Amino acid sequence: MPVMLPTVIRNLFGGPATRMYPVQVREPFEGARGHIEFNDDNCILCGNCARQCPAAAIEINKEKNELVFYPARCIICFVCAEACKKDAVIAANKWRTPYYTKPVEVHVAKGKKEKAKKE
Amino acid sequence: MAPRTVAPFGPQHPVLPEPIQLKITYEDEKVVNVVPALGYGHRGIEKACEINDYPKNIHLCERICGICSCIHGISYCEVVERLWPMEIPPRAKYLRTIWSEMSRTHSHLLWLGLLADALGFESMFMQFWRIREKVLDLLEMTTGTRVTHSVSVVGGVRRDINDEQKKICIRTLQEVRKEAEALINVLATDPTVKARTVGKGVLTKEQAIMLGNNGPHLRASGVKEDCRMEGMQAYGELGFEPIVETDGDCYARTLVRARETLQAIDLQLEAFSKMPEGEIYVRPKGSPPANEAVFRSEQPRGECFYYAKGNGTRNLERLRVRTPTFANIPSLLVMLPGSELADVPVIVLSIDPCISCTER
Repeated sequence: MPVMLPTVIRNLFGGPATRMYPVQVREPFEGARGHIEFNDDNCILCGNCARQCPAAAIEINKEKNELVFYPARCIICFVCAEACKKDAVIAANKWRTPYYTKPVEVHVAKGKKEKAKKE
Repeated sequence: MAPRTVAPFGPQHPVLPEPIQLKITYEDEKVVNVVPALGYGHRGIEKACEINDYPKNIHLCERICGICSCIHGISYCEVVERLWPMEIPPRAKYLRTIWSEMSRTHSHLLWLGLLADALGFESMFMQFWRIREKVLDLLEMTTGTRVTHSVSVVGGVRRDINDEQKKICIRTLQEVRKEAEALINVLATDPTVKARTVGKGVLTKEQAIMLGNNGPHLRASGVKEDCRMEGMQAYGELGFEPIVETDGDCYARTLVRARETLQAIDLQLEAFSKMPEGEIYVRPKGSPPANEAVFRSEQPRGECFYYAKGNGTRNLERLRVRTPTFANIPSLLVMLPGSELADVPVIVLSIDPCISCTER
């Protein structure tokens, strides 16, 4: 097929288009949405993230002073990271590795005292 | 008369990534009758949209379909913006146009690959998906993810494209255009592809209009109809002209989608050169008022219709979505009877079926 010949020749000398995945991992782009992390030192349990989360992946328990995060529910939209005014939700560009059981992260907020002082 | 046999085509079939069943009655090798059965993929998204707050629905609407997710999100934002109605900044309009066309490029490249795969042209399938990967990388770089971009919000967009990203986009798109053009040339001139597609599944202009078809499927039958002609977003300033073929067979549908791929890249390059500077987001005032609005967008598969009704609270009273494949499925009942059984996969694929869109 002469029409496809340039493509065939290019592929013959061009090397593979795929990577040896588990060994060789591509670095994610700078602004890629990978996963979220919490900085407990800044969190004041204001609840902005939990209210705006479309997947109900974040729960706030003010009595126990806890923020409960369900990573398996998270759809990685980063609405929480944009909603947080205290930089307590960190947007990371690396993907989470798959898990066998659904994890539950419990974060104890330590930023509350600071807020109480201001008030 | 030869004995009639009824065979199920789907819900699991190699050309169908999604579940739809066609009960095909055939005599010898000729198809006599087709009865489609829908409903395997229903998820109740429209009802869920009434329960959620209106900003959360963007993420839900994006999950109606994986391939046209970007345009579903944008369409939802546009229809909710029309409830006020509110105007979004010009740069946001251009960004929405660029992302819409980018998702059209990758959707059409995916379809061209799938067509080649359905014909048994595996090497072509790999070539098309290889260049599609570059477009997905651009989407990941500019929006943050490859599939569900979540980039549009009511009142504008969430992300901007900076100058460095713009340069990479323009350079990559020019590369993709060059490579896609070469591959499309092979696909359009290949004698085997022609033997399998020319004159198969013919739909005349009158039939296409009568059955209410839309999108590239309708344009391949010689009807000049495209929602982008209305000039929504930035299309009015980009000098958009729809691509029309007149034969109405599988080959014409392939050509329409192939030419639209190149046109989508041209539109992106033009939009990049004309994109104004400025704001990308305006904050909506309060909750959507008690009002009704409709919005028609052109998805890769055809016209998508959104209807929203607000009631003054943060929830919508009703959201209705009519997706392109739902309008294109009736044409199968006209195209399939009389065709050979071996041509059924190609004809079914030629409407670019998206069942998760159809059933929501």
